Amino acid sequence: MTTTTPDVRAAAGPDPVVPAVPRRRGRARTHSSDQPRRSRLLTVVMLLVLLYFLLPLFWLFVASTKSNADLFSTFGLWFADSSSLWANITTVFTTQDGIYLVWLRNTVVYALSSAIGAALLATMAGYAFAKYRFPGGNAIFGGILGSIMVPTTALAIPTYLLFAKAGLVNTPWAVILPSLVSPFGVYLMRVYAADAVDDTLIEAARVDGAGELRIFFQVAMRLLVPGMVTVLLFTLVATWNNYFLPLIVLNSTDLFPLTVGLAQWQATAAGGSGSRPLFSAIITGSAISIIPLVIAFLFLQRYWQSGLATGSVKG
Amino acid sequence: MTTDVSTSRAPTPARPHRRPSPMRRKENATAYLLISPFVVIFLLFLIVPLVYAGYLSMFREQLVGGTTFIGLDNYVRALQDSSFLSGVGRMTIVLVIQVPIMLGLALLFALLLDAGVLYLQRFIRLGIFIPYAVPGVIAALMWGYLYGPDFGPTAQIADRLGTTAPQFLSSDWMLFSIMNIVTWEFVGYNMIIMYAALRAVPAELYDAASVDGAGPVRTAWSIKIPAIRAAILLTLIFSVIGTFQLFTEPNLLANLAPNVIGVDYTPNLYAYNLSFINRDLNYAAAIAFLLGIVIMTVSYVVQLSAQRKERAR
Amino acid sequence: MSRTITWRRKAAALTAGVGVAALALTACSGGGGDTAEETTGPVSQADIDEAMQTPTELVFWTWVPDIEKEVALFEAAYPAIDVKVVNVGQGADHYQKMRSALEAGEGAPDVAQVEFQHLQSFALGDNLLDLTSYLPEDVSGDYVDWIWEQVLSTDGEKVWGVPQDSGPMGLLYRDDILAAHGIEVPTTWDAFAQAATDLHAADPNVYLTNLPGNDMGQFTALLWQAGARPFGFDGDQTVTIDLMSDEATQVAQYWGDLIAADAVSVDPDFTDPWYQGLANGKYASWVAAAWGPVFLQGTAENTSGLWRAAKSPQWAEGDDVSANWGGSSDAVMASTKNPIAASQLALWINNDKESAMTMATEQFLFPTTNEVLEDPAWADEASEFYGGQQVNKLFAEISGTVEADFGWLPFMDYAYSAGEQTVGKAIADKTDLVEAMQAWQDALVTYAEQQGFTVAD
Repeated sequence: MTTTTPDVRAAAGPDPVVPAVPRRRGRARTHSSDQPRRSRLLTVVMLLVLLYFLLPLFWLFVASTKSNADLFSTFGLWFADSSSLWANITTVFTTQDGIYLVWLRNTVVYALSSAIGAALLATMAGYAFAKYRFPGGNAIFGGILGSIMVPTTALAIPTYLLFAKAGLVNTPWAVILPSLVSPFGVYLMRVYAADAVDDTLIEAARVDGAGELRIFFQVAMRLLVPGMVTVLLFTLVATWNNYFLPLIVLNSTDLFPLTVGLAQWQATAAGGSGSRPLFSAIITGSAISIIPLVIAFLFLQRYWQSGLATGSVKG
Repeated sequence: MTTDVSTSRAPTPARPHRRPSPMRRKENATAYLLISPFVVIFLLFLIVPLVYAGYLSMFREQLVGGTTFIGLDNYVRALQDSSFLSGVGRMTIVLVIQVPIMLGLALLFALLLDAGVLYLQRFIRLGIFIPYAVPGVIAALMWGYLYGPDFGPTAQIADRLGTTAPQFLSSDWMLFSIMNIVTWEFVGYNMIIMYAALRAVPAELYDAASVDGAGPVRTAWSIKIPAIRAAILLTLIFSVIGTFQLFTEPNLLANLAPNVIGVDYTPNLYAYNLSFINRDLNYAAAIAFLLGIVIMTVSYVVQLSAQRKERAR
Repeated sequence: MSRTITWRRKAAALTAGVGVAALALTACSGGGGDTAEETTGPVSQADIDEAMQTPTELVFWTWVPDIEKEVALFEAAYPAIDVKVVNVGQGADHYQKMRSALEAGEGAPDVAQVEFQHLQSFALGDNLLDLTSYLPEDVSGDYVDWIWEQVLSTDGEKVWGVPQDSGPMGLLYRDDILAAHGIEVPTTWDAFAQAATDLHAADPNVYLTNLPGNDMGQFTALLWQAGARPFGFDGDQTVTIDLMSDEATQVAQYWGDLIAADAVSVDPDFTDPWYQGLANGKYASWVAAAWGPVFLQGTAENTSGLWRAAKSPQWAEGDDVSANWGGSSDAVMASTKNPIAASQLALWINNDKESAMTMATEQFLFPTTNEVLEDPAWADEASEFYGGQQVNKLFAEISGTVEADFGWLPFMDYAYSAGEQTVGKAIADKTDLVEAMQAWQDALVTYAEQQGFTVAD
């Protein structure tokens, strides 16, 4: 749980081995200029496949237009007679004096600061591992990579106890600082930097008398931007969706991110004394919480697409 | 994977090997300076808790009677603990069934997208990828509903067709249901990794193929796939790690089918419940360590067999 | 206290042993220790007055929605006291956070909501302040007997919390469904079994009731009502685990038979399918606690007017006994720096007439004080959802029939979890419940011994 990502798969960026680096050679790929024959049949098949991937989201949207009663009494994949969407949205934003907006703000703050920080740290470290051979370098790098395999969920209590001693519990730092650790980001940036920053470029800068740090910040950094954006984006998703770490280290409702807040609403509906059903608010709140991330992906798609596929003529 | 990666892709030395010179020392200093922010955070927030957990795993703390040092007893206990072993066994099933399906689909979709034989390419690509942006908490909520035994749409449709849908949340189907959610979440993600790798395959490789007059399927099989072996291996290793650490999805589905998903359904869930419900975090720490060893071993075996195949070519 | 110390020592050993100077962790960061002195004899009214006029900030962890209302009343009565209400989660999440904070010796609240069955486990860790000397001597008289007993230590010498809400068990049923099939409201469990069989035979889409395999709170209440006393703790090292008594076996056998005959359904409760089942008439009744009526109203709005409430069926004709399912108290942590103000908060919001009344009428918590239970403004309220029935009055009456003398283990988290793995699983899988009770018994004994307890024969 100390890393950003309870599920390691979420930590992996795009293929670190080949991708992202702009290739100077072979820029025009012959096979792509061949005007491939597009297939209607394959397209239809793929659209059916797509149905599988979008169906749950469609359900979420439909459900968010329903009242509590309709949720349990109408067909799940179609709309009820009357739409309660507006009423649900109002409930989401007004329950507990609009705490949802606070959660949204927290999520944005945690995700952005973690993502930017993680990308920066990973870029610096990745560049150093790629471009310098220094004592202990390989060992340290190996240790960092190996740590991906640590089942961090099980370290919850030890981590909590250490955080408590350091006075970090129930502060934003308890969420942000651990999220800065992206071992995979370091790996990605090392591979990326090895290809993207030409050794001759560094050598030339040295001959010009530039200091090592200046070379990094003024020469290499610019070349590393597409890789950095990729790390940033994937850390952003991981932190945005992180549930376990904030659940453990935060107590105050005011500090919760959306995932923990929504889960708390759900718990309120889970029975026992003081229960009350907030189902439609939970569902609508969930639907709304996905939107910013989807937009971010759509918007940033250009960046990472260009980062990933520079050098190809196909779009 | 650690060893392989760090040896096979050794960093490009910035300059030929020489005795430590003032220049060299300056470079070393720069390198340490650049890695230090990451390493400090890494040590504080990953290694220290890990070491602490390792320390805890060698004690036993009782609700009555306090704490005693017991050395490796917790590890011995874990190796005889059917809860832990059956969890590992269950995850092995997932590894053998779900991971190939997920990666196979991802590869197929990536190849189709790369071959440019589809209309609406961008739309399809994004649509398949979008589930990755959905938090696991919400994914489980959605699928939990779709799986609903009485009123879920699957059940309702089946009912209308005069048959009965499988009981997705029953013990017979649960593992399948979890595998489906994981597949749904990560096919697009793995597809993007492979697709990106395909886009970066140097064009010269294709030239040779088109000279040979190979069709698209043969090109895919004998040129494209081998060209992105590294990317595929990477997704495979990450899937191994992710599988053995499966936690969020079963943990959330446990709300819907509490008696199907027991406290020991996955090793990670077991460790979690040991520390929070049994209040036996010393033992939980030992379980976590053993799980880490299992993951490392399996990843290493996967890596090794991949290399052997490579050499056999 | 012993646990806190162990944790400290461990953390200190770590900082030294591992040599992580860089961590800059201060091993003992102060605060959090036992600052509340062991007072002998009642705290004088003068002490209380003084404390309540001293500007103080209290942290109060609770998951009662909108409890800010009662807290505001308290703050109006005692302007010097500033209460910060924090909702860290409900049930398990709440207790996990409390344990973590108490073990870390950092960040624990002054006052926290604790359900009856968990008081002993926090008391075992020396985490709770004995309220005896902080409460008025005659305070026990304000409460229904069995409820007051729930907040006492096993020997009855110490008070671990102030009762907040309770959940006497009754039966909520669909009048229309039973009437349509000509079924009388069962008053004994025998009649209930017959009705369950008849109803499901008459309409295969309907079950008389649902027995969830995930709700050990409800199952324990069923045991409780049958006269079983499966759990006990002497407050020191000895626990009683008796799930194989005649009474307990009777309950297991009874429900096991109904399940085997497919006369009751076994859906997990508080899940979507279960809500749907309540809303669309799959279940014709719910063996519910007193907090159930209002909860049901919120989830099955479309069935308004069709439900009625009754007393729980009895094991012997003519008996009138019930049990409790869910109920909580507000406890003061031993680590509080302001024991007087904290205990007055716990007392006042639950005991003051206006505050307790607000809880009963706005948060719909089922009351614990005689004053509210007997107040016509609350008890005589007719509920439209229940066809104009005075549901509050009925459950107030049931509260008077709850059997006293029901104890708990100091590890109910594990006990319920193990129950779900054994009895709960048997319910879900429709296998032998009596065998499952034995498995539950064995699991608890093993765990208790592992944890260093002595298990009484």
